[in-house]
Amino acid sequence: MAALGTLSSANLNGGQKLAVKFFTVAIALFGAQVLFGMLAGIQYLKPDFLFGILDFSVNRMLHINAMVVWLLFGFIGAVYWILEDESGTPVVGLGLGNLMFWVFTLAVVVVVLVYLLVQTGPGELKSIWLINEGREYIEAPRWADIGIVVCVLIFFYNVAATFMKGRFTGIAGVLVFDLVALAGLYLAGMWYTPNISMDQHWWWWVIHLWVEATWEVLVGCLLAYGLVKTMGVRRKIVETWLYIEVALLFGSGILGLGHHYFWIGTPEYWLSIGGFFSALEPIPLVAMVVHAVFDAGHHKMKSANHPALAWMIAQAFGNFFGAGVWGFMHTLPQINLYTHGTQWTASHGHLAFFGAYSTIVIAFVYLAVQKWRGDVWMSGNMAGAWKWKWALFLLHAGMIGMTMALLITGYEQSQIERAIGGSTWTAYFEAQAHVWFVQGMNWRMISGWAFTAGFVLLAWDLMTIGKRETRPAQLPAAEAAAA
Amino acid sequence: MRRTLTSQERVVIEPVHLADFFTVFFSAASVILFGALYALLFAWSRVRGRPRLMPMAYAAYLGLAASVIVLGNAANLFNSHYWTFIVLLMLVGYLVAPHAIWHLCVGTHVGEDEAVKVSQQR
Amino acid sequence: MSQTQTQTQTLWWASESFWKKMAIWITAGSVVVLIFLTFDTVKQITAGGKRVPAYSVINQRIDYVFDDKRNHQVPVIGPEEPLFGKKLSEEEAMALVSKGKLTTQAKNCMNCHTLLGNGAYYAPDLTKSWLDPNWGTKETREQKMVDFLMNPEEMLHNSIGRRMTNLGITEEEARATVAFLKWMSSIDTNGFPYNFKPIDQSDPAPAAAPAASADAAAAPVQQ
Repeated sequence: MAALGTLSSANLNGGQKLAVKFFTVAIALFGAQVLFGMLAGIQYLKPDFLFGILDFSVNRMLHINAMVVWLLFGFIGAVYWILEDESGTPVVGLGLGNLMFWVFTLAVVVVVLVYLLVQTGPGELKSIWLINEGREYIEAPRWADIGIVVCVLIFFYNVAATFMKGRFTGIAGVLVFDLVALAGLYLAGMWYTPNISMDQHWWWWVIHLWVEATWEVLVGCLLAYGLVKTMGVRRKIVETWLYIEVALLFGSGILGLGHHYFWIGTPEYWLSIGGFFSALEPIPLVAMVVHAVFDAGHHKMKSANHPALAWMIAQAFGNFFGAGVWGFMHTLPQINLYTHGTQWTASHGHLAFFGAYSTIVIAFVYLAVQKWRGDVWMSGNMAGAWKWKWALFLLHAGMIGMTMALLITGYEQSQIERAIGGSTWTAYFEAQAHVWFVQGMNWRMISGWAFTAGFVLLAWDLMTIGKRETRPAQLPAAEAAAA
Repeated sequence: MRRTLTSQERVVIEPVHLADFFTVFFSAASVILFGALYALLFAWSRVRGRPRLMPMAYAAYLGLAASVIVLGNAANLFNSHYWTFIVLLMLVGYLVAPHAIWHLCVGTHVGEDEAVKVSQQR
Repeated sequence: MSQTQTQTQTLWWASESFWKKMAIWITAGSVVVLIFLTFDTVKQITAGGKRVPAYSVINQRIDYVFDDKRNHQVPVIGPEEPLFGKKLSEEEAMALVSKGKLTTQAKNCMNCHTLLGNGAYYAPDLTKSWLDPNWGTKETREQKMVDFLMNPEEMLHNSIGRRMTNLGITEEEARATVAFLKWMSSIDTNGFPYNFKPIDQSDPAPAAAPAASADAAAAPVQQ
């Protein structure tokens, strides 16, 4: 065994060795997301910046694609991280998993290079197959779509087969089912139609049912594992709550799809269905609050990894404000008529994705780094603890700043452009030139710099935290009891 | 397009009037924030055995109820039966949800030593 | 302790097996309802229906008129007004619109613009761009749109200096894109965008003006 405080794969099991590869690429892609987001943000203020070289459309596409892929890599990594421990057996197809990692990473690199160097193609099917599908979030060309599905299927095989060979726990059951849905739903976005209404109808199956249903349940599985392993909550209780969560999330989330079907040509009954499930959506959040208080009252919040715990707490708050408060403010069709397709959506999207998903992946990466260095001390009195604290603060201050700034621009846009101006070309630019909008975009940029600084600090911290630390981590008694 | 609808008219939704935009955003945010505050105080009061917190929890619920009504008015929800039903559903649902979840918490944690204490305290 | 054990068994509504079944039934139930609704929705949004017209609608005038009954604007299909002066069969129209749709995808329009309100927010929504008063008159509109798409970086856009980049759109692609945009403006979007003020498409001779003119659409607008 390697010395404490040095990175050594001897400290990891097979699945975890693979997981840290995924985490490494995930953090690199997080950096890409920040970079291209910043470039796109600057273009709002200086429209001639990189005009004709790296246009807004390219930067924005890379910004949102990097996000989808880094979160996916983070989730896959997190699942591999827990897989051997949860199943009690080595990963069945580790070689295959490694191959899939390299193929997936290589595919991402090729797609990004094509985005950057080729950018657009002629209006023919071959452009969609080879260059860019031109559909928000799932721009990846069709060849890459097929690659993604193959990779996810290999991943699914590894997870399902490993659990079948070892222990098939309740968490395993939910996870395996969720991965089937995750892979299957992606197929809904893989065909061409000239009909834009039909296109967007199926497109939302991928986007909504991934982000607001299957991803949430996947995070639920990861958190459930965390509760069992780090807080010593009894497995039976945790798994019961995982089922309750699945019932609440899928019960409100699947037909919650309706709130995207207000204005794309889909029938009027979706206004009623979408409104109904929008009113239900806060229920899982209320459940979360009550249960969190209940647990906090019964379990001593002791963690051997302070940064990871802090990011998990941030997840609870981020999910609540991003999805709950920001979502509900503009989800009823009576108001969504004006906010749909404005900076409102951008405000909500930034906070919700960061709050619900980025936070949990970052928490897992901290857990991974700790073990990678041989389970070093990561609690109080840590050397250089200012780094993770400032990274956490700057990333949150930056994100909240961006969200508030975009909220103000969205508010102005929904009034000036939508309600008064009626969404014409002239009304659009009137709203974009408005002083509230311009100032909002300035503040967004300032907050973006804070976020960037936070990211740099986070990356630095992840590379150095626990280095040369000689104290071993104080593992909670639960770990021993559960094993 | 401000136009007051007569009671005979049935439209699926009546869009928010420009003057009510801020009210809608603010009251919708308040619904969720009061809802969380209610759930938090309610659970806190029970878990710590502090009955004095309970009136504050219900005060938060009153704030929630007021926000729902204001939202209902501003978003023209009371002009149709269906949307009025949604308002009622929110009022009842958010009142009951923390109670129901609390019972589930107690029920699922039965057998755990600390949880037994809580159920006995109640 | 034995008392708690018996209690564990009595609380069926808090048991793992109950919630496992609930999770499965609620998920399955939601999926079944969704599939049922999807069949109906897909039927209603297939091109050629009432909500999403056939592609040959580009042979006709399309307007966006306030409907008293539904209390918002709805697309109204008017008299024959073929795009680029050439009446197309259903197959020809579909091929042209499809070419336009492919162009919007290949040129990544959605990462600056919104279509039906979805996309990016750096450029105007294109849902009703065919009807935008910015194109001047209905006689010059088609050519203006084609010219704009082919050389956008040279055109005057706005006062804030934001421009569309030259995406190398050919004339064929530009014309197809205009067809796609005209067809998209005929989709019934439940009143989105709200309070839109369409281009004046009324015929010059007052006698020939149909009821569904731009004036009628603008009349109830009183903010």
